[in-house]
Amino acid sequence: MIRQMTGHRLVFLFVLSFLFLTPFTTGFQKTIVEALPGDNDAEGWKKTRAMQHYAGEDLYEYINGGAEIYHEYGFVRVVVQDYVNDEGKSVSVEIFEMTSPASAYGMYTFKTDAKGKKITIGSDAQLADYYMNFWKGPFLVTLTGFDETEITRAGLLDIARNVGSKISAEGDKPRIVSLLPEEDLLDQSLKYFTGFLGLRNSHPFFQWNIPGFEQGIKGDYSGGFSFFLFRFEGIEKARGGFQSMEGQKDRRGRNLFVAVHGEYLMLVLGEADQNRANRIFGRARRKIDG
Amino acid sequence: MDKKIGRREFFKKSAKIGISAAVGYGFAACAPGEKAVPAVEETVDIAVATGSDYFASTVKAVDGVGGMSKFVPKGARVAILPNSQSRHPGTYTKPEVIKAVVEMCKKAGAQEVNCLTWLKPENWEASGLDVAVKEAGADLKFIEPEEANFKAIPVQGWKAHQEVMIMKEFYNNDVFIDMPITKDHAGNKFTGTMKNLMGLNFRTNNRLFHREDWTTNPESIQFLDQCIVDLNKAVKPTLCVVDATEFITTNGPFGPGELAKPQKIIAGVDRVAIDAYCTTLWGLTGEDIYAIKLGSAQGLGEMDLDKVGIKEITA
Repeated sequence: MIRQMTGHRLVFLFVLSFLFLTPFTTGFQKTIVEALPGDNDAEGWKKTRAMQHYAGEDLYEYINGGAEIYHEYGFVRVVVQDYVNDEGKSVSVEIFEMTSPASAYGMYTFKTDAKGKKITIGSDAQLADYYMNFWKGPFLVTLTGFDETEITRAGLLDIARNVGSKISAEGDKPRIVSLLPEEDLLDQSLKYFTGFLGLRNSHPFFQWNIPGFEQGIKGDYSGGFSFFLFRFEGIEKARGGFQSMEGQKDRRGRNLFVAVHGEYLMLVLGEADQNRANRIFGRARRKIDG
Repeated sequence: MDKKIGRREFFKKSAKIGISAAVGYGFAACAPGEKAVPAVEETVDIAVATGSDYFASTVKAVDGVGGMSKFVPKGARVAILPNSQSRHPGTYTKPEVIKAVVEMCKKAGAQEVNCLTWLKPENWEASGLDVAVKEAGADLKFIEPEEANFKAIPVQGWKAHQEVMIMKEFYNNDVFIDMPITKDHAGNKFTGTMKNLMGLNFRTNNRLFHREDWTTNPESIQFLDQCIVDLNKAVKPTLCVVDATEFITTNGPFGPGELAKPQKIIAGVDRVAIDAYCTTLWGLTGEDIYAIKLGSAQGLGEMDLDKVGIKEITA
């Protein structure tokens, strides 16, 4: 009887997985592949070379020496497809499926910088000299042209708009992003991080490790300083983070101010005095409490 | 127009020549295949050629440190190690640089030039460097990343790794030219001559350089850099030719990222000095990079650029 029940359960589980889990998984894979433009979906651009697909640890095969940062933010899979036009220009499209919209947003902030041109595709998008990035839902899309000509840059935008229109998923930025004080905040300077690599690359030579933080955000402010906000799992851990930073000196001689508020640790680094730091700490506290 | 900087005092200069000569002998002693290579007696430690013609700049930079015949004896088999990690702009050694180096080797009388890699052919096809290497007249040798194709090499004076695993094919060569592109790296911030040698080391061994907590623990980043320095104790290039023409300063090593375009080619034998110089091309200093500091402290080269003879050349 017991054996029979176990057998029934196994059959039930198999049927369940076949009916639900498999379509669910392939559905996601399908979504990411279907988001790739077909020939001439972006006028004049056709697929070339076979599509590549890497999932999980296989990312190391594709990004030898640089996959760790994707895993830190939460990587699921990537598809890569190249396109060419009649002028012989090429564009590569990479659609990264991350574990959540927050992961996609974080990787987006990692890969973009203040110099790029803000454009309207997906949740946030930025065009640089020869490449662009946007994120939408759990997807981060990177398009690379192989020169800086107008034809290539126009192609980047056309293809990106097509990809963006095919991704229906939506998602919000992590709440911590909204806790940055807006006054004097430089547009596109935000970096969201969930681990050491992201933190270390969020700012030129951020020399400290903040032990045990769960997530963090950095913004640059006019006047030449950066404000960091770290969230911890609980007040005690935040105090631990504060103690690790209290009395620290910046190797490059920049000013550093530290404060703690509830489960949040706050840092000001750069051209700011104590008064300026206190003002921004106060604004952040009000946002956290509000 | 040539301009020499550094070497502030004659005493320092004289002392440096001695060091250069000694270093030259050291490279000769450790070159692949153990064939003797003429020692470098130049007063110039590194030569930097600037210009938009990357082929010409490469030739001028190598000429600036004495010319290829100083490093490549007649009949030598030469191993070259360009970087072909990614096809994104500013992430791989330019074809013109490879072509210039191969051509100079041939002119110097090299019997053969072998471009060694354990990366997949797709990496080279994607960057177009497979064609560049072949057109230049070098052999692109793909080494299957299997343990049997690599040889354990003990590291003298190791700090983190007692031995490294270098591809056996490497030791069928007499001369080794390290040819990285300098660029950003999300892990240890910088790639140059020293880190490029991971391209000779067995992939599994490279993974041992990365402790499990290397993405969360700053000490493990330092460990990675110490491993790179240890690798450089076991393998010593005869010559380094670095592509610093256009390279990514963000989102490295794979890109795409922001491009710096100093249009420079750097040649020399002192890896630490060259890497320290390259950091200055994008607002850093050697002090910012653990591997450079560790390499300097452990005798691989000079990171104080005031003590390095740098010949700047306009190509």
